[in-house]
Amino acid sequence: MSEVPELFERASRELAFTCDASGVVTWADARAQRLLSLLPGTRFDLHAAPGTEAKIARFLLAAAAGEERGWELALVVDGKPATATFSAAPHQGGAAFLGSLVPEDYFAAVEQVASAMAEIVTLNRDTARQKKVIEQRHLEVVSLNRSLEDSMRAVKTMHAELEDRAGALRRSVDVRGRVVSNVSHEFRTPLHAMLGLSKLLLDEADGPLTGEQRKQITFIRQGAEQLSQIVNDLLDLSKIEAGKEILRSEKFAVSELLGALRGMLAPLAEPGSGVRLVFDTPPEDFLLETDRAKVSQVMRNLISNALKFTQQGEIRISASRVAGGLTRLVVRDTGLGIAPGDHERVFEEFEQIAGSQQGGVRGTGLGLPISRRIATLLSGTLTLESELGQGAAFTLTLPLIHPEVQEMAALTRRSKSADPTRKPVLVVEDDRKTMFVYERYLEVGGFQVIPARTVDEAREALTRVRPAAIMLDIMLEQESTWAFLAELKRNPDTAEIPILVITIINKAHKARALGADEFWLKPINKDRLLRKLSSLSPPGATTRVLSIDDDAAARYLIRKHLSGSEFYLMEASTGPEGIRLAQDLLPHVIFLDFLLQDETAFDVLDELKSDPRTRAIPVIVATAYDLDEEQMARLSRLTEAIIPKQNLTRELAINRIRDALGAAGLSVRGASGG
Amino acid sequence: MVATNAIADVRSRYLSAQLAGDRRRALEILRESSQANGLTATQVQLEVIQEAQREIGQLWQENRISIAQEHMATAISKLALAQTFQAAPSAAPNGRRVLVACVEGETHDLPPQIAADTLDLAGFEVRFLGANVPTDSLLAMIDEVAPEVLALSCTMVFNVPALAETVRRVRARPGARLPILVGGYALGWLPKLATSVGADGFGSDALALLAEARRVLGMGDV
Repeated sequence: MSEVPELFERASRELAFTCDASGVVTWADARAQRLLSLLPGTRFDLHAAPGTEAKIARFLLAAAAGEERGWELALVVDGKPATATFSAAPHQGGAAFLGSLVPEDYFAAVEQVASAMAEIVTLNRDTARQKKVIEQRHLEVVSLNRSLEDSMRAVKTMHAELEDRAGALRRSVDVRGRVVSNVSHEFRTPLHAMLGLSKLLLDEADGPLTGEQRKQITFIRQGAEQLSQIVNDLLDLSKIEAGKEILRSEKFAVSELLGALRGMLAPLAEPGSGVRLVFDTPPEDFLLETDRAKVSQVMRNLISNALKFTQQGEIRISASRVAGGLTRLVVRDTGLGIAPGDHERVFEEFEQIAGSQQGGVRGTGLGLPISRRIATLLSGTLTLESELGQGAAFTLTLPLIHPEVQEMAALTRRSKSADPTRKPVLVVEDDRKTMFVYERYLEVGGFQVIPARTVDEAREALTRVRPAAIMLDIMLEQESTWAFLAELKRNPDTAEIPILVITIINKAHKARALGADEFWLKPINKDRLLRKLSSLSPPGATTRVLSIDDDAAARYLIRKHLSGSEFYLMEASTGPEGIRLAQDLLPHVIFLDFLLQDETAFDVLDELKSDPRTRAIPVIVATAYDLDEEQMARLSRLTEAIIPKQNLTRELAINRIRDALGAAGLSVRGASGG
Repeated sequence: MVATNAIADVRSRYLSAQLAGDRRRALEILRESSQANGLTATQVQLEVIQEAQREIGQLWQENRISIAQEHMATAISKLALAQTFQAAPSAAPNGRRVLVACVEGETHDLPPQIAADTLDLAGFEVRFLGANVPTDSLLAMIDEVAPEVLALSCTMVFNVPALAETVRRVRARPGARLPILVGGYALGWLPKLATSVGADGFGSDALALLAEARRVLGMGDV
């Protein structure tokens, strides 16, 4: 049984002691001595944790005065914190205390929770701080954005100013071009007089000259020649700059070009001068389709340039075809050469490389700039490869077929395969660029351009199609079209086609007098053009009628009957042509002559009915012959109507066409005609 | 200006929520008071939370609350300070760095927390090291953080020797002289103490400390 009190002694956290009025321990039990080191004679408040001395003093005073319970005191025992709760009662002037030590881990846990709490709050505060930083950054970004927008506006303003200046510059370039052009023309007349007169003098037509006079006049003449060359070059340049240069494309073999150049330039390389002019024969001849005169001009410039700067050796001209549908024409010399740093400068106007390497050779300084501009006009490039003292090689690279030619060919192709949903407009215009512009305009308006660059082409086109309107340029390059205008209006077949005269010279009275429906000055406004064309011809798709007859008179008659009606007439003079047109253009009705040159209507009908595209097109047979029963029966199965030619009138033709359309389930398209 | 009795009212309601352990209501009272009564963040920090904490200490001294209750109330006040900090408007960063710490042995980290928050909201870049920072650690942190000002907090009078020792050791570091500001309840009793421990300035509360920080950095009054 002795173990039990021992266990109590060891395990108990209860303790008791007494103090006198001044707080000195007067008695302490074993546990008070062991657990709190409270020995009689020591002061109780010495065990107070730092900062809690006042609380112990308060407790001691209260305990001496009356009973107290549940005082929690923070103590330090052997340097370690301890917490105990005490009850006390007055005892012999002082007080008696009963204490209970609070388990240390209990307070340790409370401390842990508190510090964990503190850490969480700190973490939370960091988050809050970061949020504030982010907000701050956001504000900065917003303000940065605002200033970016400001600079953006400034850039835009600057851009607009630059545009203005560029515009002013362009205008001044225009003015300069005009001045150069006018002045050059003014120079030409007196220059020609000087050249002619000096020639006369040198020919001694008015008597002999002394040696000194001859020398002086020769100087005058050379000066005038040089000046004349400069004026010509300047005119060329200003023409190209103004975009007035017109491209005259033709087909030619490269061998022809080289041959002509050789014939022209070989005399310049005199034998014994130490310079040979060599034309390499290309391994295979090939065709070009571009402006031959301009290619030749560039080559002449390059070759004569090479001659000027080559004292010794050779000038070699070669031509080859390269990938991408291009040709490369090279002029290579063994002359002075040009330092790479100066390569671009030689293409600038009035630039000549200064210094001794020029060898005292002078030119106008315009040859290469002009050549490069012409190269651009030809959709090509002019490049230079050279080192100082190593000779030079100028290369003109060109498309074999000028893009405009290709585009024009495509446009012509498009016009040949008529688009039934578009009304054809014949455009007589020699400038390809203008033609392309019109095509774009008219396409938007639902018209199809039939291009003609000459009066002959226009006449040819009129045999194929009857256009809804004609746009006519009066000043073609080679001819004036006044006569053609008069001719169209005199001819009853074409008199009713509205004609729009569009040109650069104001001759409205003359145009009207010759029968033009409208007269406009270039450049034209797209919307105005489309409005006019629409008002001149009925809107919407027209009903197409194909007339197949080998007799021109019979075709003429049908044309007459249908002129001014809502029908758009196409014509073929043979069976195969008629079938091809029918397949390509899909007419709504076909007028077919019974007896054609080498075949009958049956041959044509068989073809038409065997092709799914043309099978459903109603056919009206017009015949001048008496048909037998069997022919009549067979024909009626295949056609909508049979009309004896002698009975054909305008009313009958139109009514039969309408009947045929009705039978085919089609109604007459467009506005009804007369 | 908010009348003193209005603040006292907010404080007593906050205190009873704290003692009841109702942290939601305590936070709500502060939120409402700053919205409805127009209390500033500084007033909430100094006149409500800090004063309430002082009363809590007093109540423990009088044995009217237990240690556990005191801890709970302190935890709520820490949460309240965090909420106040988060809601307060802050000035643009001024790029000046301040290190705030309790001296070794000092466990009262609430007053320096208020000082740190006040500096932070005024635009300073503040690093707060919390309670009872061993002086060796503090010296290492000074090297790492490279502050322009050091602010030390000392609440209990028995920690004043530790404060003096800390100032001495910071001063003994090689390199440029680091301005040291001191603050805390312990120094409030002995006005000359700050100078005698070798500090460059003394802040009786967070606002005064902020003014001192600006002064020693030559930033003028803002």
